[in-house]
Amino acid sequence: MFFHDLKYFIKCGLRSQDLMFWLILFPIALGGFFKVAFGDLYSQITDTSPIPVAVVSEKENQIFSSALESVSGSDDSFLDVTFTDRDTAAGLLKDGKVTGVISSGDKVSLTVAENGLEQTMLKEFVERFRLNEKVISDAASSDPTKIQQAVSALSSEISPVKNVKAINGNSDVFVQYFYNLIAMTALYGTMLGLKICVENQADLSPLGARKCCSPVPKIKGLSAALCGCFILQTLCMVICVTYLVFILKIDLGNRLALVYLASIAGGITGVAMGFFVSSIGSISERMKSGITLGVVMFLCFLSGLMVGNMKGVIAEKAPWFNKINPAAVISDCIYCLNFYSDYRRFITKMLTLAAMTLIFSALGIFMTRRKKYASL
Amino acid sequence: MENTIVKISNLVKRYGDLIALDHLDLDIKEGEIFGLLGPNGSGKTTTINCLLSLLSFDKGSIEIFGKEMTPVSYDIKKQIGVIMQNVAVFDQLTVYENIDYFCGLYVSDKQKRKALVDEAVEFAKLGDFLKFYPKKLSGGLLRRLNIACGIAHKPKLIILDEPTVAVDPQSRNKILEGIKQLNSSGATVIYTSHYMEEVEQLCTRIAILDNGKKIAEGTKDELKRMIKNTETIRIEILGLEETHLKEILALPHVYNCNYDGSVLTVSCSGGKHNLIRILGVLQEHDIAFGRVYSELPTLNDVFLEITGKVLRDKGNEE
Repeated sequence: MFFHDLKYFIKCGLRSQDLMFWLILFPIALGGFFKVAFGDLYSQITDTSPIPVAVVSEKENQIFSSALESVSGSDDSFLDVTFTDRDTAAGLLKDGKVTGVISSGDKVSLTVAENGLEQTMLKEFVERFRLNEKVISDAASSDPTKIQQAVSALSSEISPVKNVKAINGNSDVFVQYFYNLIAMTALYGTMLGLKICVENQADLSPLGARKCCSPVPKIKGLSAALCGCFILQTLCMVICVTYLVFILKIDLGNRLALVYLASIAGGITGVAMGFFVSSIGSISERMKSGITLGVVMFLCFLSGLMVGNMKGVIAEKAPWFNKINPAAVISDCIYCLNFYSDYRRFITKMLTLAAMTLIFSALGIFMTRRKKYASL
Repeated sequence: MENTIVKISNLVKRYGDLIALDHLDLDIKEGEIFGLLGPNGSGKTTTINCLLSLLSFDKGSIEIFGKEMTPVSYDIKKQIGVIMQNVAVFDQLTVYENIDYFCGLYVSDKQKRKALVDEAVEFAKLGDFLKFYPKKLSGGLLRRLNIACGIAHKPKLIILDEPTVAVDPQSRNKILEGIKQLNSSGATVIYTSHYMEEVEQLCTRIAILDNGKKIAEGTKDELKRMIKNTETIRIEILGLEETHLKEILALPHVYNCNYDGSVLTVSCSGGKHNLIRILGVLQEHDIAFGRVYSELPTLNDVFLEITGKVLRDKGNEE
């Protein structure tokens, strides 16, 4: 009976155009839209080639030379430095062969011809150097052997993108949108959860009434439906991540197997959440569908799907909420994989998802298992 | 003596202040086609939902096959086939898959199930539509699919809640024939409807519900005997005068007499030779008349007389 129920549940799910649209086509379309919208910025920020810069040395500045040395000279360096004179540097800048001209002397200054991401990063570099120059200078005068150590500390600050590259991950702000897209797709599993409720509660649909009249114990029917949902949602998550990584070429890091695992776990949590939310109260299917979708979109909004820095704002104002917001937990889970070299945070997030799944499923079953209805 | 299949005793169901079922008692015997008749909001569907343990009730008891019916009476549920008022099938499954799915909830053996599904397909005459999805079916076919899903497992008790709503006459006839066929193969049937002619054609015993109360119960003939009207006579006639009407009304067994200028309608209660006596009065006064009709009471007359001769819809009233 269990497998009979399961087989037909999966068949129905796969043939449901509504479900397949929201669970597969919509995330694919949105992913494509993100890629088009952020594509240019994305390619710039994920471009790991050094930024070409001309350096005009007006006066010997040993500290700046050391700093330059520490951020240039190899393929994955921050800067590709050309030492030249002022006129040649101006020509290179005019021809677009360098992004900016840094003049070093008593004071380090930057000249750029236009605004852009690379120019901003150069500006950031110069400003950070200026801020730290005094500290480095003091360190050098007290103990000249510490100059290299101080410069290294500076160079490690200059570019988060380059630092992350060191662990072969990708944590740029635009990829965050794709993390959130995965979280949203996972939480769209709530629609599958709603399907369980509708098809198993006599007060929600004629199908529910017919099933309640059958000799199949409710717990058995619900378990089969939950399993069916988990399988369907797993399939949807695999399609979503595969599409992002292999079709759109979004760099989700080199721990791809764990990204799949986190996405699937998120999807399962989404199903359980939908099952729980839609089992609350005795209102129409349409109302439940609206409420469920509203909850999902609200949670996704707070995790930064629509506004990139929203999660940061929540982290500042109500940090506890990011720990219980399933959308934030799912996107964090993938983020952790790319940002941290160890698995501690990832495991914590996965355990959080597992706990949420268990709690939501148990509460959903508890509320749906009722035997008789006061009204139909 | 026939076995009691369903016994409902003193059933009370309230929705707040509204009493949906008011101390209802029903005894349904094995092999019957039992009709539950009543106007909208009379409590027919509520009775069925309580019977199936879908609805909680405030008082009373329900026994099916001699055992108390509860939501976990799986052994009882296994022997019941339910065809609800609203079509309950999966839009994403084909006709065959739908029947197989619902049959599978009752019968786990695959081979046995296949044979049962094939029989149900044959019964509902759905053989040409096996690979159709419900959305592609006409209203009548959809109703037949709904019935096939409910009876495929060959239940001993079949409950049909207004299964012919919004169905064309041809499909309705097919459905009614099918129900008779199920009954003749041994199933007890409970049938709710507010289509009088269906109930009259189909049911061996009928209970009339109104405002949650059983106001009459019996066979068709027993019910017809409960009402005052036993014969309605209609005569096409011109130029009838008030004095003639008074004379007709004074005849034995005549209790009502109406004349609209072209048709005389006389209602009689009991007695024999009523028509001859009325025609005698007309001949006596040398009054010419046209076509003459003598009608026995229908279930519709019974229903309208017992429930108050007013069409009611609770939803609209409240």
